[in-house]
Amino acid sequence: MGTITVDRDDPIKGKPLVEAHHDFGSVTDAVCSVVEKPPITKAWWISFFIAGSGLMLLLAMIAYLFWTGIGVWGVNNPVGWGFAIVNFVFWVGIGHAGTLISAILFLFRQQWRTSINRFAEAMTIFAVICALVFPGIHVGRVWFAWWMFPLPYQQMAWPQFRSPLLWDVFAVGTYFTVSLLFWYMGLIPDLATIRDRATSGIRRFAYGLFSLGWRGSNRQWHVYERAYLLLAALATPLVLSVHSVVSFDFAVANLPGWHTTIFPPYFVAGAIFSGFAMVVFLAVPARELYGLKSIITMRHLESMNKIILATGSMVGYAYAIEFFVAWYSGNIYEQFAFQNRAFGPYWWAYWTMASCNVFIPQVYWFKKMRRSIPVMMVVAFFVNVGMWFERFVITVTSLHRDFLPGSWGFYMPTWVDICTLIGSFGLFFTLFLLFIRFLPMVAIAEIKGVLPQAHAGHGHEGGEH
Amino acid sequence: MSLLDEFKERESNRNSEQEYWRSVEQLVDTPEYEEMLIREFPEGADSPPANFSRRRFLALMGASISLAGFSGCRWPKEEIRAFAHRPEGLVPGVPRYYATSFDINGHINGIVATSYDGRPIKIEGNEVHPAGMGSTDAWAQASVLQLYDPDRSRKIAHRTGNQTVHPGWAQFQKSLQGDLAALWEGGGAGLVVLTEKSSSPSLRDLRDRLLASYPKARWTEYEPVSWDAMREGAKIAFGAPYRVHSDFTKASVVVALDDDLFGYHPTSLKNARDIMQGRGGSGENMNRLYAVEPVHSITGSMADHRLPLRASEIEAFTHALASELAKKGVPIASAIKGKLKTDGTHVPAEFIATMAEDLANHRGRSVVTAGYRQSASVHALVNAINTALGNLDQTVLLTRDPEGERPSHAQAIADLTADMNAGRVKVLAMLGGNPVYDAPADLDFGAALAKVPTSIHLSLYDDETSQKCTWHLPQAHYLESWNDARSWDGTVSTVQPLIDTLYEGKTNLEVVAMMLGEQPFSGFEIVRRTFRSMAGPVIDFEKGWRRALHEGIVENTALPTARTALNAAAVAGALHGGSHDEGYEVLFTHDARVFDGRFANSGWLQEMPDPMTKVTWDNTANMSPASAEELGVKTGDIVSVTVEGKSLSIPVYVMPGHASRSVSIALGYGRTAAGHVGDGVGANAYALRTTKTGYIAHGGQIKGTGAKAKLATTQDHYLIDDIGMSGYDKRYSAIVREGQFADYKKNGKNAFHQDHHPPLVSLWKEPDFEGTAWGMSVDLSKCTGCGTCVIACVAENNIPVVGKDEVRRGREMQWLRIDRYFHGDKENPTAIHQPLHCQQCENAPCEQVCPVGATQHNQEGLNDMVYNRCIGTRYCSNNCPYKVRRFNYFNNQDPVTPIEKMVYNPNVTVRSRGVMEKCTWCVQRINRVKIDAKNHKRPIRDGEIIPACAQACPTRAIEFGDLTDDKSAVAKKHKSKRAYHLLAELNVQPRNVFLARLKNPHPALTESTNGHHHG
Repeated sequence: MGTITVDRDDPIKGKPLVEAHHDFGSVTDAVCSVVEKPPITKAWWISFFIAGSGLMLLLAMIAYLFWTGIGVWGVNNPVGWGFAIVNFVFWVGIGHAGTLISAILFLFRQQWRTSINRFAEAMTIFAVICALVFPGIHVGRVWFAWWMFPLPYQQMAWPQFRSPLLWDVFAVGTYFTVSLLFWYMGLIPDLATIRDRATSGIRRFAYGLFSLGWRGSNRQWHVYERAYLLLAALATPLVLSVHSVVSFDFAVANLPGWHTTIFPPYFVAGAIFSGFAMVVFLAVPARELYGLKSIITMRHLESMNKIILATGSMVGYAYAIEFFVAWYSGNIYEQFAFQNRAFGPYWWAYWTMASCNVFIPQVYWFKKMRRSIPVMMVVAFFVNVGMWFERFVITVTSLHRDFLPGSWGFYMPTWVDICTLIGSFGLFFTLFLLFIRFLPMVAIAEIKGVLPQAHAGHGHEGGEH
Repeated sequence: MSLLDEFKERESNRNSEQEYWRSVEQLVDTPEYEEMLIREFPEGADSPPANFSRRRFLALMGASISLAGFSGCRWPKEEIRAFAHRPEGLVPGVPRYYATSFDINGHINGIVATSYDGRPIKIEGNEVHPAGMGSTDAWAQASVLQLYDPDRSRKIAHRTGNQTVHPGWAQFQKSLQGDLAALWEGGGAGLVVLTEKSSSPSLRDLRDRLLASYPKARWTEYEPVSWDAMREGAKIAFGAPYRVHSDFTKASVVVALDDDLFGYHPTSLKNARDIMQGRGGSGENMNRLYAVEPVHSITGSMADHRLPLRASEIEAFTHALASELAKKGVPIASAIKGKLKTDGTHVPAEFIATMAEDLANHRGRSVVTAGYRQSASVHALVNAINTALGNLDQTVLLTRDPEGERPSHAQAIADLTADMNAGRVKVLAMLGGNPVYDAPADLDFGAALAKVPTSIHLSLYDDETSQKCTWHLPQAHYLESWNDARSWDGTVSTVQPLIDTLYEGKTNLEVVAMMLGEQPFSGFEIVRRTFRSMAGPVIDFEKGWRRALHEGIVENTALPTARTALNAAAVAGALHGGSHDEGYEVLFTHDARVFDGRFANSGWLQEMPDPMTKVTWDNTANMSPASAEELGVKTGDIVSVTVEGKSLSIPVYVMPGHASRSVSIALGYGRTAAGHVGDGVGANAYALRTTKTGYIAHGGQIKGTGAKAKLATTQDHYLIDDIGMSGYDKRYSAIVREGQFADYKKNGKNAFHQDHHPPLVSLWKEPDFEGTAWGMSVDLSKCTGCGTCVIACVAENNIPVVGKDEVRRGREMQWLRIDRYFHGDKENPTAIHQPLHCQQCENAPCEQVCPVGATQHNQEGLNDMVYNRCIGTRYCSNNCPYKVRRFNYFNNQDPVTPIEKMVYNPNVTVRSRGVMEKCTWCVQRINRVKIDAKNHKRPIRDGEIIPACAQACPTRAIEFGDLTDDKSAVAKKHKSKRAYHLLAELNVQPRNVFLARLKNPHPALTESTNGHHHG
């Protein structure tokens, strides 16, 4: 029961990663109690009902789509891709923060990540699940979507490896697999903790099954940490590659507004930007409702807000550079694509995007704003809106007016498009609510590693406290 | 009590031992069923016929034996039979071709119909026919769809009071003969036959027979849109009804006064071919086309100089032109000169002076024409001008009108209605047409029809007129009919059936024969009788008959050219100077798609974009930008157009280049009994049209209603914002290249915009090609934008119709689209048409991005689409810079009836939902020729493979062939100085080239009236 007093203004000591009077036992209690004795059942049930309805809406829309055809969406001849692809890129983007926090920050020994990494990784997995729904359903003949995979079957026909869509299948598939493994591996010691605290047989069996016989021996910890490090090293390039490859879907095409070399870094920055915004947006209510303020501290939130400011500015820079390059290239089609984005029929989408992504995050230059819960909720919300619009702007405004004015057209979503988008949030939040109900939303074992006690004693403790 | 009720009753009290039963009849124990159980054969089949004497039996047997030997003589067989047994020489799946004729509004074009296993599926032009010379119009192309239209009437309908019964032909005939017998005494007084305009010699012969039998009967003709003004004008100028033919091959200067020479004209196909022939820039000289017109027609879009002018001022313009010509020393007859009114025209003096000078410099080598909308007086004056210019008998030829003396169509329908209202018509037989819908509104033909005791309407559909008649008779489609026709130059053409009547239809010939009650009744015999009488005493009639059927025409039957002198005094007497009304004029025009409404139920035509507005599934009130501004309306705003107290609500289309204070509305829409496709499409302009207004109504009141319509246009959906216009202006000259003839002669390819780009390098290994390399060229100098190729492509490639809503969403499926660009002054812009199909890129961007490899390159350079493999990611379409790929957003091919399926081309896959499709350059045609060439061990000849679009094109703007063959027509085109690849800087290396458009403006007018030119 050590007590730490920290001088908040002492920059050398830094801020504590975990606040209040936590010791190993209290950390375990704080996190596990959320799973074992949920403090706010009513709110959870209401949220779950809403999210579940959203999920049902998604399933209904997909059923309708499969029954009728892609025509139920607003896509048309010049604009072959609409909400489905926008949503796909959006969700893949959201799914960036988790692995970034887990893997890259882990490798860089950014210990403040420990309080939020589980949470963020779960979000990644769910966001990627949402993302994966869309490429599957957006094809005209879903019953043949499996032809995208290189399967040896009687037709002896391989996919076409020059297509960025195929690269996408591999990139997102790999990313999902590695993220899932990484997340699951991190969960094992904590699952074992819950197993050991379980009072009912079913819980003991279920958590026991998934904790894969974890006992917390030194040898297990040794192997575990090695494997975790290796997976982190493996996941790190994926964070950068997955959205780079997603950006190739656009950058490799010859369409003005898509055919841009800046896309890979710009997409990755945007993805991290939106991913962090989503983490903030989810973490703030969760820490309020589940009494985890002392574990997910204001310092964590502020750090994330700094990243939002940094990546938001990168995205803003990319927007500016696109215009510069369009002008500098002397290519009339390229120039037109960008003028048309900002001042053409979709000007509202463009300026929504620019306001949400570039202008609003600038408030984070002020410390007070970075540390204000209402401000960060508002900013995080707008960043997500803005990033969704960014993908809309890229996909739709480029397609609707390309080279030949004779083929120009216009795209408007249908009610099915909108309901599918809403439904994808339903899927996301359903999964997320199930996660916080059944799995430890903070990495208990890792948190303990950053407690001061951990450094006073002899390394890591097991999860059995 | 119904069978079911009986069954229920028996069911309730039947005895419990009877557990099983075989049919409802068995349960109900009807006497018929009882009897059937006992009988081995159906009734009558197993007993000798009653009342059949031994003598009769022997007589029949004897006759059978003696006539048995004659069975081989019956050729050609009249009846068309199903292929229960394969006829000799017929190979299933190998198409057969039959020459026949397509008639619209009495104007004939010879066609060749392709028939697969007894199903006609495609119409092509007949090369030996003088009207089309191998090309067709969109209407002919779409006529196969009409043949298989499930909405076509299938039965006779007899309407009395509120009752409708469907008797057979025999009953109709009996009833008809009863009615006619009642008129016999009075010499047929009260009998009127109303037909569409027809050129059929057989129908004329039957008319004469009918009028011989019933001397007091009347035979009359009505068309809502007709060229009577030309006829009446010639009657004034030359004293008798003449047809005025123009020989544009010899004309250096052509002036079209409100005349859509390429759109709707008795010889529109020939006009287009002849005028465009001289516009490729290969010769020393190039003809010059002036168009003065209120609407912006496709003819105007091709003109070197175009002047928008209200239709009511065309007459004043013609006067001014004549007087200007007189000033330049052209011998305009003095009687006429004195009557010319030269005030009141709003024409720039410079324009008219230059035009007059150009005409005066090309005497005997120029043509002035006027359109159907213009009055007889304008036509008469135009004839006088041509005579004065020495064009008569040089470029302008006359033939006697074989229709002889007859009242004009407008007069005929007015007279008929008056008779009907006066109760003087007892039996009215209408052979085709739809006067209840399209007669002038003030006549109220429908009400007059109620006063006719027996009204008969022969029609393809049970339409507006049929529903008000006591008898509706289903008409045989022309592809089911024996008939004949004479083309505009008089050439006798044959109409032969390709299929037995799908329904119970009969032709107009057969119905008249039925009225006559004389033999023969069948169309086949009637036509043969006519041909026999036309042929006179020939040795081998059968040979000539067979030859005529094979060729589709009877050679050397064109009308002889007549020479006659101008009656200047009569022309002078007819001149009245036209209207000087400053209000809005409302013009009623033919429609490029449904014509006068007769094709309203054709999905192909309804979905064909109008050549100029690109609107589908609607007619619009077209007006100039200035007029729209004055009225405070925009494209899509619904206005109410009021003429003489009658109003019509119709959406506006702001048409650049339309004359101001003039609103044009296409006829043929707003039908109520056209069928499932055509009902309720657009607004019915006939409601505004009266006997007095004709084609031009004065003093129109146009008011915005505040409502808006969602027009389904295939182009310019949102091309109204400034940013779009600025982007458009910058790229215009690179996309559609245009130059001036004089500049081109001097500077060659530098007369056009040229691409400047760094050396192009491919990211991938470029494909190799073996043997042939297919290529195409599209000559923008020749493309009039008429849209025939679009429909030909639809017919050939089983392209679905998606409907108005889907077109509005931008999901039209036509593989070939014609982009129409306006440029320059919006009150009088340059318009140019660019047909765009798959460019078959060698470095195809679509192929690279398909994740499943569903689009592949073949060895001959075609970009193949593998429908089976396509999963529908639509990435290929996104990456196509030309946006020529089409995606099936829904299951677009869902025939309800087996009849609808018959129109499919069996060589082209019918695509399912979720599949991308695109132009293949008619790969099925390429393969057919390749297989044939291989079988005969010969090389493929240049010009042997003709894609459907190229085949249909009236001006031969599209060439196809092998690029490796230096002598092929297409290879020459590829080497032309006018050739350019669209978007060449993308290095997609299209196999199609466009040939830049040449214009030949008069040097004096280059700057002032023709907007901006690109050098």
